[in-house]
Amino acid sequence: MFCIGQLHRGIKAADQILKKKPDHGDTIAMKALIINNQGHTEEAFAMAKLALQKSMKSHICWHVYGLLYRSNKNFEEALKAYKFALKLEPDSPQIQKDLAFLQMQIRDYPGYVQSRRAIIQNKTLFRQNWTALAVAQHLAGDLWEAERTLTTFEETLRSPPPKSDIEHAEAILYKNTIIAEMGETERALDHLNAAAKDSPDRGWVMEKKADYLLQLGRMKEAEDAYRALLDRNAEYRRYYEGLVAAMEIDKSDPQALKALYDEYAQKNPRGDAARRIPLDFLTGSDFREAADSYLQRMLSKGIPSLFANIKALYADSSKRDTVQDLVEGYRSGQGVVQMNGTAEKKPESTEEQQPNGVEEKAEKTEPFKPSVHFFLAQHYNYHLSRDLDKAMESIEEAIKSAPESVDYHMTKARIWKHHGDVQKAAATMEHARTLDTRDRYINTKAAKYQLRYNDNDGAIENMGLFTRKEAAGGPLGDLLDMQCQWFIYEDGMSYMRQGKLGLALKRFMSIFSTFETWQEDQYDFHSFSLRKGQIRAYVDMIRWEDHLREHPFFARAAIAAAEIYVMLYDRPELASPMTNGVNGDRNSAEQRKAQRKARKEAEKAAQAEAQKKDARKPAAVDQNGDPKKEDKDPKGDLLMKTSDPLEDAMKFINPLLEFSPKYPKAQQTAFEVFIRRDKDLLALRSLLASHAIDPSDPTTHYQSLRLRQKAIQKPPAVPEAALKVFESELSTLVSHDADLSKLNNDFLQAHHESAPHVQASLRVRCELLDPASKDTASQDLIRTLALEGSTLEDALRGLELLRGWKADEKYVDTYIAAAHERYPKATTFQEGQAK
Amino acid sequence: MDIRVLTPADIPHVQSTNITNLPENYFLKYYLYHALSWPQLSYVAVDVSRPKKSPYEPPRIVGYVLAKMEEEPINNIQHGHITSLSVMRTHRRLGLAEKLMRQSQRAMVETYGAHYVSLHVRMSNVAALRLYKDTLGFDVEKVEAKYYADGEDAYSMKMDLEFIKDQLEETYGVDEGDAVGEEGKKDGARKEGDKKGKKRKVKLGRGLGVGDLVEKNESKG
Repeated sequence: MFCIGQLHRGIKAADQILKKKPDHGDTIAMKALIINNQGHTEEAFAMAKLALQKSMKSHICWHVYGLLYRSNKNFEEALKAYKFALKLEPDSPQIQKDLAFLQMQIRDYPGYVQSRRAIIQNKTLFRQNWTALAVAQHLAGDLWEAERTLTTFEETLRSPPPKSDIEHAEAILYKNTIIAEMGETERALDHLNAAAKDSPDRGWVMEKKADYLLQLGRMKEAEDAYRALLDRNAEYRRYYEGLVAAMEIDKSDPQALKALYDEYAQKNPRGDAARRIPLDFLTGSDFREAADSYLQRMLSKGIPSLFANIKALYADSSKRDTVQDLVEGYRSGQGVVQMNGTAEKKPESTEEQQPNGVEEKAEKTEPFKPSVHFFLAQHYNYHLSRDLDKAMESIEEAIKSAPESVDYHMTKARIWKHHGDVQKAAATMEHARTLDTRDRYINTKAAKYQLRYNDNDGAIENMGLFTRKEAAGGPLGDLLDMQCQWFIYEDGMSYMRQGKLGLALKRFMSIFSTFETWQEDQYDFHSFSLRKGQIRAYVDMIRWEDHLREHPFFARAAIAAAEIYVMLYDRPELASPMTNGVNGDRNSAEQRKAQRKARKEAEKAAQAEAQKKDARKPAAVDQNGDPKKEDKDPKGDLLMKTSDPLEDAMKFINPLLEFSPKYPKAQQTAFEVFIRRDKDLLALRSLLASHAIDPSDPTTHYQSLRLRQKAIQKPPAVPEAALKVFESELSTLVSHDADLSKLNNDFLQAHHESAPHVQASLRVRCELLDPASKDTASQDLIRTLALEGSTLEDALRGLELLRGWKADEKYVDTYIAAAHERYPKATTFQEGQAK
Repeated sequence: MDIRVLTPADIPHVQSTNITNLPENYFLKYYLYHALSWPQLSYVAVDVSRPKKSPYEPPRIVGYVLAKMEEEPINNIQHGHITSLSVMRTHRRLGLAEKLMRQSQRAMVETYGAHYVSLHVRMSNVAALRLYKDTLGFDVEKVEAKYYADGEDAYSMKMDLEFIKDQLEETYGVDEGDAVGEEGKKDGARKEGDKKGKKRKVKLGRGLGVGDLVEKNESKG
């Protein structure tokens, strides 16, 4: 884009012209464009409209009008304006291109094909215009036409282009993907052999060749092809899978499989895949033997990721027990002889180094014993093999041998976390951080644990040790600029837990905007990639962008934001900054104190903000170097003061349902919004979706009964036909005349050993069917703490429920006392009384 | 841990690994620029040991190398550049960084005819220096004063990649197409014997991974 100086000069020049010719529409339009670039959107639009009034028939004015709309993401209006400009000036290549790229950006494929055809009319000789048309046809689903377009251009080439012609080489491979996508594997293979023999992208050609051969059943050749790939890279499971398939090894014959992997383990003395994969399929004593040698090998090297690499096996409880048995054996000194003196144990100087962070000296002397303790600590800390006391014992043992080990203290912090002691967890992680202050990884962990402990200030202070000092807006500004999603999300969750809903919303909105930026980022590549000629990567990118928002951070932030809007709808008083807290309704003295404190904090923050603004000399710019708009609502107060929170929630719910429909929590959150908006048909749709994923999900049970109850009390006000569909669909979950109370009891009976299910049924009883049952429901909730399989998370959720019901204080106290007994180290139940 | 080429869908997760590990961070668009300009050069290390818990579960990226070609090389000598390389603390000592680098370096030679690769490293980062110097065979070219935003100096390092070209020729045969860039001229200077005999012009050093490649292909040489 332009630099600031250029913009000023541009405005000056425009003003000079306008002094002489105040009605010159084109100049006004150009000035509008510059002003828009400076971030003054409204002014720019007013000016562009004025320009159009002066010169209705100017393609420049219409073009600018389109550009303004585009830059403000109103794509539909931009499209209209471009088309109008093009009508006035059909041969303008610039308008033509802007239109085409916009069509691509909004995935108007038929329009894009049409534009691409028009562009070719003018410039038939340019290869990139032909490739662009092929891409348009390909993405529009017309593979046959796309291939024909590429071939048409190839036929115009008189002599084969030189090998250094990357654009040509790429076009060949792109064509090959199109042939393969048509399902014509045989032809794709022939094409690959004939046209891509000497392709500079040898790795890709070899992969495709192997895949095609396997698909065609040409097993011997496929085997050779996969072996050739494994010679290039022996750490890729896909290649091993291909090889096993090509060799037609019977999957029920583990010995034959093992032999193949052993061959590659021998070939790659430092490889991991060929040693690790057999642990997945071996069983019984074969597994024990292989696990023994794998574990000892890694333990004697002191590889810290060993447990992370092993824990997947615990899904099979017999494997879990075998691993535990083996490693406990090493601890007590059994069975370790076999490894001593083997060739694989290397002297210290050959340990692999990693590029970031400083190594720990202490761990290097005799890694085996401490590694065993470290492994056991992680093992007993893992949910499938949890015994937190043993875990703590083991990690203390490991720490004894290496008191300065970051890794060991990090695991200790995790053990505290699982105890529920968020304070000790954060303090321990902070201690680990001080052991290696130059390593950002441990800094990241420390900040994350601080956020879990709701220490937002401490967290941002730590993060600030690694952010750019010159960044506008301090550390947080840098983290937002650098799209550091995890921090923004965790910061938001922390504020949400503290009832600071405005700030929480603000963070989730930032995540939402980052995804918009990422979507916008592709725009420049519509032209860039054609110039660069890397078409396959471009098409991959387009397809990824199409489901960008499947990203778990998007889903989690969207769910949390929608939950906040639901809270604001249910309890509008939360939006007033005076209470500013979900737990703000304690006794009045405390409340007043909290309010005073909040007010003071707000004043202090406002002052700091003002100072910061003064200090902020360099103008803030975004990633394209454009000036950034000032944030007028840094605390999210305006977000919170919405008049229609449920409508605002839809901004998150719509993409959530579009991109994460198979995520039960997405459907359940949508349900809560829909049912409050009296969109019962949509609520039902979400309910059916979550029911299809897991019919016995506790929340789904609660929501089914809730919707049925609502349908009885107040059927949806929709036309009869729709109502009929609604009834028949809802009846598949809960029939019209069902005894809800009995249904709920049946559910309780069926799942009486699972705390989340019992909680759901108590919720139904107390919140839907019989509010008078609050006391007995509270007592029943206390009993869930004794359930064998119940977890700390269940216990925490139970406390939330009690508080949500405004249960009698004596039940809350009893609950906390019982929970404290079961989870003596959990912070919530220690401080619970005071809270 | 899979080692495989980076795809656009990996990028947000690579970006997140980067900002977890290193102080030098980039917008997503800068990663896109790499992936869409030289799609063969950047690699990721992915933890694939656990089955996916949800249909939307992202790849667990535990390490990556983000690499590019120099856009306007001096004297038109093609060469690669390592923009960023990092491995999660939890996944160190597995040799992932070395494996990532070797894959990327081969692609630089194979696809873009790179003669050498360059990078910058913090002078205080002893572990990284050792990897580049001792394990991979980089040489310090010069010191760049105040290269990093916090004022720290950088070593500018360089590694010759001609040996990879020789290995590739031994494995896959001599390229008959015309050379990229200046390669044609430079080739003339090379000794004939290298290609024919079993003698290899290979910096073995500690490069065990490279050793593997060469040993296997002796017969074809």
